[in-house]
Amino acid sequence: MIGFTEQTTDVYGAQLSRRGFMKAGGALMVGFGLLRSGAAEAAAANTSLRAFDASLPGSWIEIRPDNTVLFRTGKSDFGQGTIYTAYRQIVAEELDLPFEAITTVVSGDTDVTADGGGTFDLLGHGSPNIRKAAAYTRQAILQLASEHLAVPADQLSTHDGMVSGGGKQVRYGDLVKGKDLKLTIPVSGDLTSIIGLAVGGNPPMKPVSSYKVIGKSYKNSIIAEKVKHQEPWVTNVKLPGMLHARTIHPPTLGSRLVSAGKVDKQKYPNAQVIVKGDLVAVVAPTEWEAIQASGQVAGATKWTEWKGLPGKEKLYQYLRNEADWNATPVQKSRKSAGDVASGMKSAAKVLKATYELPYMKHAPIGPTVAVADYRPDGVVTVHTHTQNAQALRGELAMMLGVNTGKVIVKTYAGAGHYGRSNGGNAGAEDEAVLLSKELGKPVRVQWMRNDDIQWSTQSPAAFTDIRIGLDGNGRIVAYEADHHQPAGQDDRPIGAVLAGLPTMPAPSEKGGMLTSIANGSADPWQYDAVPNLEERYHGTFQIGQKASPLAIGLRDHSMRTPTQYQQNFPRELAISDAAALAGADPLQFRIDHAKEERLIHVLQRLREESAWQTRPSPQPAAASTGSTPVRGQGVSVMFRGGVYWACACQIAVIPATGDVKVEKYTIVVDPGIVVNPEQLKRQIEGGAVMGISQALYEEVAFNESAVTAADWISYPILKMNEISEIKVVLLNNPSVGSYGQGSEAANALASPAIAAAVFDATGKSIRRLPLRSVYVKELLKA
Amino acid sequence: MLTITVNGKKREVHSAEDTPLLYVLRDELDVTSPQFGCGLAQCGACSVLLDGKEVRSCITPAVVAAGKEVTTLEGLPDRWAKQQHLSPAQAAKTLHPVQEAWIEQQVHLCGFCQNGMMIKATELLESKQNPSVEEIKDTFTNSGPSPHLCRCGSYVAIIEAVRFASTLMAKGGAQ
Ligand code: FES
Ligand code: FES
Repeated sequence: MIGFTEQTTDVYGAQLSRRGFMKAGGALMVGFGLLRSGAAEAAAANTSLRAFDASLPGSWIEIRPDNTVLFRTGKSDFGQGTIYTAYRQIVAEELDLPFEAITTVVSGDTDVTADGGGTFDLLGHGSPNIRKAAAYTRQAILQLASEHLAVPADQLSTHDGMVSGGGKQVRYGDLVKGKDLKLTIPVSGDLTSIIGLAVGGNPPMKPVSSYKVIGKSYKNSIIAEKVKHQEPWVTNVKLPGMLHARTIHPPTLGSRLVSAGKVDKQKYPNAQVIVKGDLVAVVAPTEWEAIQASGQVAGATKWTEWKGLPGKEKLYQYLRNEADWNATPVQKSRKSAGDVASGMKSAAKVLKATYELPYMKHAPIGPTVAVADYRPDGVVTVHTHTQNAQALRGELAMMLGVNTGKVIVKTYAGAGHYGRSNGGNAGAEDEAVLLSKELGKPVRVQWMRNDDIQWSTQSPAAFTDIRIGLDGNGRIVAYEADHHQPAGQDDRPIGAVLAGLPTMPAPSEKGGMLTSIANGSADPWQYDAVPNLEERYHGTFQIGQKASPLAIGLRDHSMRTPTQYQQNFPRELAISDAAALAGADPLQFRIDHAKEERLIHVLQRLREESAWQTRPSPQPAAASTGSTPVRGQGVSVMFRGGVYWACACQIAVIPATGDVKVEKYTIVVDPGIVVNPEQLKRQIEGGAVMGISQALYEEVAFNESAVTAADWISYPILKMNEISEIKVVLLNNPSVGSYGQGSEAANALASPAIAAAVFDATGKSIRRLPLRSVYVKELLKA
Repeated sequence: MLTITVNGKKREVHSAEDTPLLYVLRDELDVTSPQFGCGLAQCGACSVLLDGKEVRSCITPAVVAAGKEVTTLEGLPDRWAKQQHLSPAQAAKTLHPVQEAWIEQQVHLCGFCQNGMMIKATELLESKQNPSVEEIKDTFTNSGPSPHLCRCGSYVAIIEAVRFASTLMAKGGAQ
């Protein structure tokens, strides 16, 4: 570098510095500086301890001399494809470059990405970090071009990687060639929190009307890599000298270790047992020896007995009568309106019902796996598959009692988690770290299928009491709901808990965001024409957590549409039940109680697209006996992530057997701006299939001690020959001005629509999931 | 010691004979496309072709594969090239039509099950040129030790991709 005085200029609150000339290369690197104002100061000081090394090159976006671009995101890919498609499109669009110019996406790893945050809410209500970072960068380019061309910036415009104006033009690449340029953009937040850092300020964004790249169906580059087996999977990470481990988890959710078994050295000469508190593991040089030896050692390991769960059969009884709903204040929805009591008193008819949802599993198709490499200098590198690498880094540092600078998390492709690791750990990481530290060698921990079902978190069970008053004209005059759900998010790494090492606190009445047992509104009310409304939310402890000597019990975690599913299922099913009580068509009944035009429009489109029969439920030929299939239809709606969704399911039931088959699933979506139609369609189809699976099959079996579901027989999911016809209708609505997101709504919406359709077909009310044939058969007999 | 032909190459295996083929492939031979999903023959993530038939490598002892031919996802392009008698130069540029179809139809969600899905599709299309949607559903659900499971819900995309692959194969591959 040649001697040069650094010059800095302002770019809409970001700082553009020209630090010198380089003999070769050159680039514009976009990094960040923490916003330092008022209360943010303390947070910033705290964050700087944990911060990504901002001196690393290209910490956000990098414009290179050949007019190509690299960008980095702390998010990972779990099958959404967003970081390889929509993010690329957004960056290309805001920078005015062709899609193909975005040649490199760096994601997930804590040592080379800047922003952290969980892999969820990827389009961040229409303005993800990456969009703003790109917008700042475009402004910096305009400023550089203005100097270079000697044309005022307001006379310049950008297109296809060129800046032109005043009869001159220059490529972005030529503006950075041979220069050491750095743009520092303002950010705030805590890197290792669940949401990570947020880009601040308001750089001018491109008007939606001029979009060229957003809205097109670019292919997801990672698919070809995976199909050719070129993308490294987390399961394939191998390090020199690496040992394989299997953890022996306790037989119940409250058992303490009495004595660990010994390895049968005759059979497994290379295996050894490691014990840390109540954490027991078997380690061996080969995976198969570790698996076999852990089976043998598990049989010889003694634990205390424990009972402290109600068991699946008594779940709802326990939740209603024994769970402590008074430990945390009841919350109310902000939409509460009017006077529900007098509204209800004036009602001609009242629907009073309780709706129940079981525990469900994320159930990734591959169990959690991680490789940890703990070095003598105390730095540990963890190779894993997590939705939130920075949060995991924080959790591991806390467990080890070290600064986060000592922990590096590398992320790889792996099985989908559906929210299970959005708060950091996926399950195996902390165990791998503890074992690697103990043994001084890299250790790979993979859970077996039963560990992954029995020792992971689940989507919490819930019940809701609803009362709906109808006036003489069959319109809703009052709506009242009491939603009950145990704490929904427990991100404590389980190996650390078993080993008795520091973790974040278990959810409690004293906890803050993400460690509280408070329940709140997650499913925005949609029927604005209802004059009297009250929705209340009751929270409690995770079941078994307080009784368990390990403070474990049934740990819960967000899954796809966390808490919103638990609130939307009862609401949408109750609205269909109320329509039936009013003798009204359930789709028109929704339109009649809605005011939002976007919602009314998706419902109207749904009526056409699904060949909906406008009539009240149950259908005229409804039957609850016989062995000929009876058919029915049901509808549901949701507002999530700025997006309006409406879903219709047409089903067939055989009353004699209780078999329910979904024949057609239609979904209409108004997401605002559609970024990539083909990718969105595939995401929605996947969500629909998972949603049908949840509605028909999914329920976690447990007894008084433990989760008893252990495999794909005891936790069945939908098979290919059970899928329905699936029709996805995307309504591109650029006037909204933002990119909607939340395609997981497609899976939440299946449940209330299918349950309503079974009522339509049989005339018997459904108030609980899943609709397995045994349950439906019993219900129809009653 | 066992000898197993893996993706056209004879490989010597030192693991014990009863070691499941999955660990022999992944850990000893570094053939890593078959994945551990359940270890119980319940999901299909570990599927490979054994003399052209789909088996679950997680429960297949290595000795069962001795002297036989194992094909994994890594070996699908060569398998197709051989079947089509492609020149080495052509072969180097060619993917199996099933792989082409998975890319063209943008099947993957997380993709962890897709190894087994592509293996199953290959087995099906080698025995049946133009399977109907019902036949595809039936094959992926009822043939073999268990249904092929996908938690991400990619079944719709898989069916479309198998249909697409069958048209590619009828034309002699992607041109
Ligand atoms: S891993 Fe072999 S079938 Fe599941
Ligand atoms: S694509 Fe994720 S399990 Fe099939």
